[in-house]
This record gives sequence, C-alpha cells and structure tokens, in this order.
Amino acid sequence: MKKVFLLYFLITTICFAQSKDPNVIIKNLKDTFQKVKDYSADVDIKVDVTFLKVPEMKAKIYFKQPDKMHIESDGFAMLPKDGLYTSPLSLLGGEFTAIYAKDELFEGHNTSVVKIIPLNDKGDFILSTLWIDQSENLLCKVESTTKTNGTFTIILGYGNNKFPLPDNIEFSFNAVRLKLSHNSMEEENSNNKKDNPDSSTGKVFLTYSNYVVNKGIPDSIFLKKAKTSKN
Amino acid sequence: MIKLINIELYKIFKKWRTYIGFIAIAILVPVIEFALQIEGHKSLDFMTRDLQQSFIFVGNLLNTYFVSYLILNSLSVHIPFLITLVAGDLLAGEATAGTYRLILTRPVSRMKIVSSKFIAGIIYTFLLILWLAIVSLGLGYLLLGTGELMVFRGGIIMVFAKNDILWRFLLAYGFAVLSMGVVASLAFLFSALVENAIGPIITTMAIIIIFLIISAINVDLFQTIKPYLFTSYMGSWSMFFDKPIDTYEIVKSTLIMLGHIAGLFGLASYIFYKKDILT
Repeated sequence: MKKVFLLYFLITTICFAQSKDPNVIIKNLKDTFQKVKDYSADVDIKVDVTFLKVPEMKAKIYFKQPDKMHIESDGFAMLPKDGLYTSPLSLLGGEFTAIYAKDELFEGHNTSVVKIIPLNDKGDFILSTLWIDQSENLLCKVESTTKTNGTFTIILGYGNNKFPLPDNIEFSFNAVRLKLSHNSMEEENSNNKKDNPDSSTGKVFLTYSNYVVNKGIPDSIFLKKAKTSKN
Repeated sequence: MIKLINIELYKIFKKWRTYIGFIAIAILVPVIEFALQIEGHKSLDFMTRDLQQSFIFVGNLLNTYFVSYLILNSLSVHIPFLITLVAGDLLAGEATAGTYRLILTRPVSRMKIVSSKFIAGIIYTFLLILWLAIVSLGLGYLLLGTGELMVFRGGIIMVFAKNDILWRFLLAYGFAVLSMGVVASLAFLFSALVENAIGPIITTMAIIIIFLIISAINVDLFQTIKPYLFTSYMGSWSMFFDKPIDTYEIVKSTLIMLGHIAGLFGLASYIFYKKDILT
C-alpha cells in the first residue's frame, strides 16, 4: 500500500512539474506590474560597443500605464530602443502563444523559463524567452529574436524596491555596423583605422535610481517630444 | 624687427584684397549656420539614420560645435585660396609696384626684409583662422547654443561631452593655422620668384589641388607618394577629435608642417637674397 501511495505521489509530482501553466505565469507577472500606475526615474547610461565611444549619459524616464513613455535629458543621451524596458507589457504586446520550457536558477532567482511566440506576423519579434521569478513575479531575463536587429538579451537586476521595477539593466545585442556620412579627407587622416568587423556585439548598461512611483504624472508630459534643456 | 613687421602688417591691411578673406568668411559662415539652424535637423537625422534604428536619441546634437566642425571640414580646401591671395602678393607685390629698389636701398638687410614679410604673412594667416573660429563658434553659440559633439572617424562613432570639446577646437584651430602656414609659405616662395602676384596664387592653388587629387586616387604608386605630400597632413586637425588622442601622430604632423614652413621659407629667403633686382 505504501508503495502504491509512493508511486501515486511520484507520478502526480512529475505531472505537476510538467504542467506549469505559462499563461498563469505571464498573467501573474502582468498583475504584479499593474501595481505600478506610473513612475519616473533617473537613469545612467553606459554604452560598451566597439565602434561607439560615448561618455556616460544621464536621462530621466517617465512611464504611465499602459504604455506611455517620455524621456528627458539635460544633454545628449542615447538609449537602446529594444533594451529600454519600461514594463513587461512592452514585451508582451499583442497575441502570443506561451510555452513553459523549464525551471532554471538564474542569478540567485528560481525562475521559470517561458517561451513567447507572437501569433501576429506584423510585429518585429519572432521569439522571446522570459526568465520569470515566480515567487516575486519579477522578470529576470529576456532573450528575444527580431526580424530586423537579430537577437538581444536583457538582464534585469532588482534591489530592495518594493515595486517590481529594476535597479539595473544589462542590454546585450548584435550591433550591425552603423555609419554616419563623413568627410573623405577626415577619414584619410583618421588614426582609428581598424579592421572593424561589419557586425559587433555591444552592451548598454542602464542604472535606475530615484524612483518616484504612483505619485501621479500628468498626461501633458507624454505629449512633449523627447526633449533636452538647451544651453 | 618688430617695427619692420608692423610696417609689413600695415601694408598688408592697407590693401583691399586682404579683406576678401575676412568678408568671405563673414558672409559664408553665417549663411551656413542660418541654413543649418533651419534645415540642420534633417541633415543630422540623415547622418544618424542607421544609429537611430537601434537607439532613441534624446537631446540636441545640432549645436555650435557640430556646425563649427562641419565648417572646419568643408572650408579646409577653400581657406588656402584666401591665404594665397595675400601671401602670394608679399614679395611679388613689391615688384609690381616697383618698390623693390626703394625698400632694398634702406639700411636694412635683405634677410630682415624677407623675414618681416614672412612673419607678417603668418600673422595674417593666424588672424584669418582666428576670425573663422570666432565667427563659427561665436555665432553658432548665439544661434544654436552648445551641446555634445558627434563625429565619425575611421569607422568609429564618437560622442564628446560638452565640457570635453572646446579645448579640442582650440587645438584644432591652432593646427589649422600651422597647416595654412605651409600654404602661406608655398605662396611666399613663388612670390619670391615672380613679379606678379597672380602667378603665385594660381600656382599654389594648382599644387594643392594636384596633391589632393593624387592623395585621393587609390593607386599603389600614389599611396607611396602620399606621406611626402604636405596636403596629407593638412586635415590632421581632426586628430584632436579622437579618443584617445594619438599624440605621436599629431607631433609627427606638426613637425612635418614646421619642416615644410622652415624649408619653404629658407628657399624663399635664399632666392630673395640672391635675387638681382631689375625693376
């Protein structure tokens, strides 16, 4: 009898392990983020790309549910389009099929790995893989493949923020060779003639601080173009 | 010697043709800056179109530094002409005016005369580049303000922070004075050979254009000759907009430019010293 019970227990455990509902995981993630109605934060940007030499930049980001975003900077700042994570909804827009893959320990988080396949061909995403910490319903890592920009990875780090907002983001991508029009005489005198490959991996590090959450942000802010204060 | 230089400067600035360069810059640079103020965003968007596919840009790259950098690039071929207008006339102008014998019969050595003329020519070159810097940066600041500077060099896109730009421009303009000094020296040399200013002006410009064409053609023979052409170093001012700055190359270019100036002045002095004045 004991053996029967043990066998029954073993079988149900295995079945439960295989039957994690990815849609429930995604829904919990979204619901947790719904606690954040709006937020603003200072963001420090550090770019680490072979052919891009940019000083550390600062910007301020505003977000309001469901998808309003505005960025400001005292000077010049460049932020990665794909890596600018504002909410999980930005990655889970539109209809999709979710498949639970496995459980994985990722940077101290027990995460569930869920694959997202968009049902709509019109979007840029082909496939996304999400590492979701189910205990806290936090998105820890995203790996996405796009039609135009190849594959990129976003790793999110969280501090002691009571809201599901990251303290830092590491965005890794395949940087296609980007060119500006240039003067040919200037090119001839350049000292940086290196045999740079046409594609290169790159990283952008975003550090968020001074979060102000759920204090109300007027819609008028989001109507402005991404601005800077002119000197 | 100072008195001689002052006299030569007085003679230079007494001629109307001296002001052609200053007037040309005073007209051209504001026209460029006004045009860029109105349409510059389109140019900038075009230049950064590939980068903007992957990145969101926040801020204004269209500022005085960007415009001044563009102007310095595009005028690096046209400024030599404005230099030769005056430098080519320094010695030949005396022959044309018939004043060679008048100045050479004074109790001043030929070396002092030729040196004072040459130094006055270099001072004019410095003043012209200074004027270019003031109009570009000054007017640009009033119209567009300051900001970060984005440049593309050797396959690398560089953005310079606001507080990391002005000193680079000062050094770049300084180097531009040096490279235009070579042009002035070349025109001065030809001026010692002839008795009409038109010849030195045209000859100097012809040499510059030929050297630039040779440098631009991608043939092995020409690429071998290229390091020996002074025009290969005229654009070296842009090395001050590198990260990190290649000090060795800048020093090398500076020494080559100084060597050219010294050599051309030496040759012009020798020719003038030995010249038999017949007019």
